[in-house]
Amino acid sequence: MLSRSPISRNAFCALQNATSRRGMASATTAGLQYDVSESAGVKIANREPAGATGTLALVAKAGSRYEPFPGFSDALEFFAFQSTLKRSALRITREVELLGGEFSARHSRENVVLKTKFLANDLPYFVELLAEVASQTKFPGYELNEIVAKLLKLRQVALANNPEAIAVDAAHSLAFHQGLGESISPSAHVPYEKNLSAEAVAEFAKNAYAKSNIALVGSGVSSSELSKWVGDFFKALPSSGSNHYQLKSPVTSKYYGGEHRLSTKAGNAVVIAFPGTGVFGTAAYKPAASVLAALLGGESTIKWTPGFSLLSQATQGFSQVRVSTKNLAYSDAGILAISLSGKADQVAVAGKTAVDVIKKAAAGEVSVEDIKKATALAKFRALESAQTLETGLEATGSALISGSKPYQIDEIAKSIDNVTEAQVKNFAKSALTSRPSVASVGDLSELPYASDLGLTV
Amino acid sequence: MSAPSLTNFIVKRPWLKRWMTPIANWYTDAAGYRKLGLRADDLIPEENDTVQTALKRLPPKEAYDRIFRIRRAFQCSISHTLLPPEEHTKPSEDVEYLSPIIREIEKEKAERADLDNLVVNRKR
Repeated sequence: MLSRSPISRNAFCALQNATSRRGMASATTAGLQYDVSESAGVKIANREPAGATGTLALVAKAGSRYEPFPGFSDALEFFAFQSTLKRSALRITREVELLGGEFSARHSRENVVLKTKFLANDLPYFVELLAEVASQTKFPGYELNEIVAKLLKLRQVALANNPEAIAVDAAHSLAFHQGLGESISPSAHVPYEKNLSAEAVAEFAKNAYAKSNIALVGSGVSSSELSKWVGDFFKALPSSGSNHYQLKSPVTSKYYGGEHRLSTKAGNAVVIAFPGTGVFGTAAYKPAASVLAALLGGESTIKWTPGFSLLSQATQGFSQVRVSTKNLAYSDAGILAISLSGKADQVAVAGKTAVDVIKKAAAGEVSVEDIKKATALAKFRALESAQTLETGLEATGSALISGSKPYQIDEIAKSIDNVTEAQVKNFAKSALTSRPSVASVGDLSELPYASDLGLTV
Repeated sequence: MSAPSLTNFIVKRPWLKRWMTPIANWYTDAAGYRKLGLRADDLIPEENDTVQTALKRLPPKEAYDRIFRIRRAFQCSISHTLLPPEEHTKPSEDVEYLSPIIREIEKEKAERADLDNLVVNRKR
């Protein structure tokens, strides 16, 4: 049997300590700062201390925003770690297996990320591997037909069966038209085969992996070792690409907005997006947006409770709807996207509720308590995404390439702490006055139009 | 698939090569496939995985030409005729177009077999 007093006393102590712990933030975040250097013309960021295992990622600014034709970023991603001039894909796989390492490739709207994880002793091998992939991949035609094209087809099928992904993609194209609005992977109806050939991808890779276009981000390896090996292996990488299939020159993102409806049998999803914030360290960074995203929320961070967020409270009655609010941040813009998915009729009603909740937030009818919680959550999310490797590596690499400063943990925390209630309210207001991007995917006979939701498009 | 051959042995010895070349030319001509408009690589048995994969890797134009030659030869065979001399395959046209791809695939398969039977000796 537990007596009540010790528990409550601990809780009380924790509350009392909360203020003093905040003051310690700078001391605990020392290990989160990246050492930035340059070796053989390649930008490197590394996070020490060196440990037993290390992670090294090559970030190339060649995501769907920069691809010359649809499908090129996907193809580049799938061609990573395939046969090179030195060894076959099979040999690479088996060698990495023997070393107990891991490699993976993925792409986002802005970047292609090749990630390797390994035992610290094997650092030189993996630096060499990344250099080899970047500069000596073979791109034979048959690999395109036998491997890459098949994987791309599978990805299209997966995409076609994920209404939420389709809706998010549609919301992006409504919001930004070109650039960030390009779909992240070509859908099944896109005639991407027209331009996609192994030779074309090879030319594109030369541009994508040119020295000025990549950054290496390490974690858990020694900085001096890393820059030494990078100097050795990345020497041969050309500093500029070829003249064909160049990266699309970046269009400065401008927000448009609009409405798009798409019928599919795969399920139902509605995405309501407003202009949001860019990533930290850019001109488009608005901390109020991330607080508003946390405030609207929808998904609980704690088990067995709906959570404090306005949307999860408001949609408690709908058992068959999943609601989440995300701030999708990019280097020069971002959107605040509320996505609802589930049963069509419930999505329709929940969508209406969601819009009412935003209107409430804009009117300032939100308790101070909730805004405090949202600020804490937004801060946690920002810091966590900087700390965890999955997101932190790409964000750091992306910042290095574009020349803005890499994640400064303390500053992020400070900027979010400084967000006031009025700022959140004003942000919600300005979001409502701008033209929203509403994408409805699924059973259109039941899914609402933007005007039904109470939005003017 | 590539058959066992003495080619390497002969090519390495110039004197032997000088002897053998006329004989080889006569033999290839006498084999008669050139009179049907075929190339040597058209005669490789294709009923196995390696050659099937190689055929898939042929460029579209080569794959089309190959089928054309085979059908023309088939037609000649049925009608018990030979092609007119101007349509015979010239020795200069009788080049390897499939064998390099087959060799590459065989190398891939050998590599896989080698890696599957690999014994690792770690340095202590």
